[in-house]
Amino acid sequence: MLKKLMDSYKLLIIIPVIITIISLGLIAFNGIDEGIDLKGGSVAVLDMNQPTSSSSLESQLKDSLNNQGLGVEEVDVLSNIGTDITVQIGSEVNSTAFNQALNGTGTVVSYNAIGPILSEEAMTQVYWAMAFAFLFMSITVFIIFREPVPSIAVILAAASDIIISMGGMSLFNIPLSIASVGALLMLIGYSVDTDILLTTRLLKRKEGTLVERAREAMKTGMTMSITAIASMVVLYLVTIFLIPEATTLTNIAAVLMIGLIADILTTWFMNLGILRWYVEVKK
Amino acid sequence: MKKRHLKEFFKDKRVILLIILILASAISISTLGIQQGLDLKGGSLIQLQLEKPVDKETMDVVTTVLDKRLNLFGVQDVKVRSSGDQLVIIEMAGVSPEEVEKLIGSPGKFEAKIGNESAPVALTGADITSVDMYEITDTQWMVPFKVSTSGAQKFADLAEGKGGEKVYMYLDGKLIDENPPELAPELANGKAATELSVTGGASTPEEARTQAQNVYTVLKTGSLPVQIKVVGASTVSAELGEQFLNGAIIAGLLAILVISSIIFIRYRNPLLVIPIIITSISEVLIVMGIASIIHWNIDLSAIAGLIAAVGTGVDDQIIITDEVLGRQSKSETNKKRRRTRTRMSVKNALFIVFASAGTLIAAMLPLAYVGFARGSSGIGTLAGFAFTTILGVLVGVFITRPVYAKFVEIFLK
Repeated sequence: MLKKLMDSYKLLIIIPVIITIISLGLIAFNGIDEGIDLKGGSVAVLDMNQPTSSSSLESQLKDSLNNQGLGVEEVDVLSNIGTDITVQIGSEVNSTAFNQALNGTGTVVSYNAIGPILSEEAMTQVYWAMAFAFLFMSITVFIIFREPVPSIAVILAAASDIIISMGGMSLFNIPLSIASVGALLMLIGYSVDTDILLTTRLLKRKEGTLVERAREAMKTGMTMSITAIASMVVLYLVTIFLIPEATTLTNIAAVLMIGLIADILTTWFMNLGILRWYVEVKK
Repeated sequence: MKKRHLKEFFKDKRVILLIILILASAISISTLGIQQGLDLKGGSLIQLQLEKPVDKETMDVVTTVLDKRLNLFGVQDVKVRSSGDQLVIIEMAGVSPEEVEKLIGSPGKFEAKIGNESAPVALTGADITSVDMYEITDTQWMVPFKVSTSGAQKFADLAEGKGGEKVYMYLDGKLIDENPPELAPELANGKAATELSVTGGASTPEEARTQAQNVYTVLKTGSLPVQIKVVGASTVSAELGEQFLNGAIIAGLLAILVISSIIFIRYRNPLLVIPIIITSISEVLIVMGIASIIHWNIDLSAIAGLIAAVGTGVDDQIIITDEVLGRQSKSETNKKRRRTRTRMSVKNALFIVFASAGTLIAAMLPLAYVGFARGSSGIGTLAGFAFTTILGVLVGVFITRPVYAKFVEIFLK
């Protein structure tokens, strides 16, 4: 089975490529939500005096804030578990006005308001940080391998890994926030880990056949990926059940889960395929 | 046999270094403690924007003035710092953003009265046009400042014949100094002077400096050099912070449990599970130790960074283990040759370890740079994440992971 799979390596390259293209389409047409830290707005975590329905709280807050002359268009309840409610407001509202709108029906556990100036600045920083992170990573990979094809294979794998994760964010409505950018950068590290392992084992080791070396590398790499995925599943479940307010941690875990699964595809289908092709051609 | 190996292991320089570092970290964490970020201990963070970008000097004035003003109003444990040339960030534990907005949102009303508290206002912040740096001669201090012509006239009228009387100064109706300075006799002659000064004496030069500094900032406070406005605020209650911390600890412990089970299932060897856990925990401990020494704030993003570093650490240990075990399966009979082979495998493994650490650090550097260059505004909040990851990976590749490699090299046969 594995042997058969490894023989049709050229075909296997197509699978991650297709998923990457689908992800690009998702990002382009479905778009990715922006968290309030990147688009501006307010988020409040509330402890209500009694369980309240999302829709009644939404309309109460909206009406009351508009009565204060704030012109709020959007009030969304992000989560509503018992008396713990997280609300997001599309525009920046200061906490005094919000408290007034809440009108004593609950207490504010955490409040976060980001003005448009800050969010704009953050967005620019996100672009630069991601661009430079990718550039620096690519340079390092070139320095490590000093061969163009294997280096480009690693960089391509990392790129499609990030694109697939962003496609996943678009699909599951995970907002792009400062925290999820952190997760995407973390992914660069995790993704390149397995790629470097594979490239080193395949190109620098001498004993065994190419397929044998690839199989050994896959055994190691899969153990790495599974432990990483498992720890992210743990983080995801813990945040969902114990600290539903920590949506940032939930989002980080979700992005990394998607990315790590994508990494399995990009490493063992795409990167391995390209490397085998390269070794074959060099012969 | 085993004893000999243990002896060899504990004689290794890196093993000794690791033990020393673990002890040092434990000591520094228990004596210095770990500074928790606002999102863990609860508190508020406010971001202010100045109306226009300013130079460093003006920025320093703004931050000192704000710091002083908040202290004056009894806001404890407050940190005011600049971020770039236009943003100021205020962090404090236990105050709601509304209160702070109230305190800093207004320009701050400065008033001075001569004689007693019910006397008419002789001078207001609006009259002050500029404040010069204070001067100290031994235990005497002086803060010179300039007032507008109209302000000078009003002050001269009220000051006439009151030489030696006390000058009560207020900020937003609060008395600044419990021991008000006295009016200099030469200012009591009824002649308008635009150049005035507040003087006083203390028992030590240091005290004089503090007093002068106080008066200086207060005079400045009455007139911030630029307009400011609140552009962002966030607050986390202490209870929620505690929940975050507990959640993170539970997640960490469960993750270790799950990772150990996977490692055990894969290798069926408890001799491997224990050192992997010890290596991971000592990485966390050393990073925390460093954090406590350099007063690095551990917040949620730093915890995420730690998780990232430990995650790559586990990956690295799997690489090391497989590299060594994989080679050994090609059963070498000669003991000596097997030893050299193991050493070679460890070397190969460390190459992969260093290479992937290098790429991760390279990817994190831009983020750390943004944080240090811009302070924790916007994406700068992730600087903690980037810095902790880099720190954790460095500790890992230079200290803990080579020790694990040594362990595998000596004990796994």
